[in-house]
Amino acid sequence: MGGGGFSSPPGDPALDRYVLEATRVPHPRICLLPTAGGDSEDQIRRFYAAYRHLPCEPTHLSLFRLGTEPVDVASVLLGQDVLYVGGGSMLNLLAVWRAHGVDAILREAWERGIVLCGISAGSMCWFEAGVTTSFGAPRPVPGLGLLAGSNSVHYQAEPARRPCFHEAIRTQLVPPGWGVDDGVGLLFAGRELVEAVSARRGAGAYWVEEARGSAVETAVEPRRLPGREELELPTPLSIVEWREARVRRR
Amino acid sequence: MEPGNRLLDDYVLSLTGKERPRVCFLPTASGDADHYIVRFYRAFDGARCEPSHVSLFRREQAAGDMHEQLLSSDLIYVGGGSVISMLGAWRAHGLDLTLRRAWERGVVLCGLSAGSLCWFAEAVTAFHGAAAAVDGIGLLPWSNCVHFDAEPERCRAYRELLAAGMVEGYAVEDGAALHFEGEQLARVVSSRRGAKAYRMRWSGERLSRRPLPADYLGVAWPAEQSRAA
Repeated sequence: MGGGGFSSPPGDPALDRYVLEATRVPHPRICLLPTAGGDSEDQIRRFYAAYRHLPCEPTHLSLFRLGTEPVDVASVLLGQDVLYVGGGSMLNLLAVWRAHGVDAILREAWERGIVLCGISAGSMCWFEAGVTTSFGAPRPVPGLGLLAGSNSVHYQAEPARRPCFHEAIRTQLVPPGWGVDDGVGLLFAGRELVEAVSARRGAGAYWVEEARGSAVETAVEPRRLPGREELELPTPLSIVEWREARVRRR
Repeated sequence: MEPGNRLLDDYVLSLTGKERPRVCFLPTASGDADHYIVRFYRAFDGARCEPSHVSLFRREQAAGDMHEQLLSSDLIYVGGGSVISMLGAWRAHGLDLTLRRAWERGVVLCGLSAGSLCWFAEAVTAFHGAAAAVDGIGLLPWSNCVHFDAEPERCRAYRELLAAGMVEGYAVEDGAALHFEGEQLARVVSSRRGAKAYRMRWSGERLSRRPLPADYLGVAWPAEQSRAA
């Protein structure tokens, strides 16, 4: 997802639901990895605020807080239906994951069919390359490479990334790839693109490739998801409590 | 940055030999936690130093070149947290090299917990569950184990790791601090009475744990004691 989602108010609740539906499990276990934001408490709180009301079992894993919340990282991650990577610094995200061996666990999760998703840095990390602003000015950096191609996020919202992305593709520093707007998500099955979806009017995705020495951009028409205003009201608290009780009994 | 106890903060400031030293805080091990940064600015207030910090997770908020900021500091203070996460993020930004350059230039480097372990060649971390060895940036060619009093698990682990070939080193209790000049231990100081440090080394086939006498800063520096009270 190119940006937006639960972590930036007012959010895109349709995208929050979309990632749950991608599991085809009625009550999926979803785990937030807030590493890119330094395990920001704000991001973690917003995640629970968004997912507490939805039919799922939300949890999170803080690599910076393992001292007070010790868990077995591999078994927590591999026990999920969805792994949701929050936004922040792509460079720090990958460096901290590698230091903990989380990159290898995520590859295993992917091979097991766990849905991997994320916003911003949490989107670019799955591709061969992304455009990070971790150094200040936008700069291309390698990702995990589970997905072929490159990815640049906040495509309209942060226009400084686009020329950097174009230039990196034009000079073949990074492979061709996807520019994605806030509120837009790309769904891949394995390494194949299934569809692009958008929860915001006027937001889209763009395929960028090199052709005869220049970068060529082709807009992709996303399938419209219901916007914030079109979605039903949050589930009443009584139903949330009942769902939580059912999970505890399981 | 001990709550209600400024003895160690005052001590590291004094090592710079400057009236109003430039102090740069590195909160990487905490994921640049806001509450920790606030605590730093409270402990190192503008009245007695020129405080700043470098955040790797909130880069867009920090202006200027962080490498230059670190190199032009008189004192670099590394906060606690996850040593593995911190070293990973540092290496991605080349901060390990910058810190080595700062050290070579004579900048005073200090830190607590993860911020102590990082300076050594090898260290014991129990932050991520069972105690394990981790390679630091290796300015000091020894090993280090912190929270030696608080977590008996760690003492056992340190002995086991030393037996398995970890380089000899220093175990430190909470409230005690090792002061190195170059690679050599110059002094052991403490902010709490009775807090100790130990030299862990081989004498023949036996691993010896020799207590190192620590100077309690509250007595040595009476002026500081009254300020802390």
